[in-house]
Amino acid sequence: MTHKTLHIALISLIGLSLASTLLSFPAFSSHWSTASGIAVLLLAWQKARIILAQYLGLAAAPRWQRGFNLALGAVFLTFLALYLVPLSL
Amino acid sequence: MTSGPESILDELPGELMIWVLIVSEILVFGVGLILFLSVRLTDPEGFATAQDMLDRTGAGINTVILITSGYLAALACQMRQPLERTKRRLALIGAALLGSGFLWIKGSEFAAKSAAGIVWDTHPFFNFYFMLTGFHAAHVVAGVLLLLLVAWRDHEESTADASAFWHMVDLVWVLLFPVIYLL
Repeated sequence: MTHKTLHIALISLIGLSLASTLLSFPAFSSHWSTASGIAVLLLAWQKARIILAQYLGLAAAPRWQRGFNLALGAVFLTFLALYLVPLSL
Repeated sequence: MTSGPESILDELPGELMIWVLIVSEILVFGVGLILFLSVRLTDPEGFATAQDMLDRTGAGINTVILITSGYLAALACQMRQPLERTKRRLALIGAALLGSGFLWIKGSEFAAKSAAGIVWDTHPFFNFYFMLTGFHAAHVVAGVLLLLLVAWRDHEESTADASAFWHMVDLVWVLLFPVIYLL
């Protein structure tokens, strides 16, 4: 892991955080509430992957990285399912 | 002669116990958020109305503060040379200061809720909100203290462990932020 990798991770994380905050503003969420909710969760999953890979150094341990990514993916899929249920009723 | 890793556990960066802690915390907060979303199914309108009372912009700013703080902690871990000791300590202090900034914003948020007469039992939403974000804030306090401790009594291993704890706090916030504030 180099300084450059960390800089890229920080910029990506800030960009993803700003994007998810913007998506929750009424201008977006009132028109595309389901799509913005799905996008917010996908962005959060991506942020979690970056933190694990670059901040916590799992990029150097690919097998663990895959395992954590899968587990977090399952957590976010559960969030997504529970988010979508009331919208589909 | 050099040998490869003896087991897959040896591939993990840092101490095994820190990873046990990270997995435990993700499980605890993950279950808390799944419970939150499950209870939300019983009253989606009430939860949406309560969520609209939260300061999403403040929480977004806090997210940027926390990930920038995590960046400084990760940077500190890379500064291993004796000549970089001052820089490393400054990076850790910077990370702790940003963590304090997060707590200040979080405290202001709780104070605003209290001034508006919103307490933990106002609505089930706020029950989860205060419990999950309050528990996370307690972790931030512990993390700030750890960062300051390793900035003062710095050592390569303790710096790595404190940073890993701090990234765990960061990771938990990444789970909390969208579910509690945005969805």
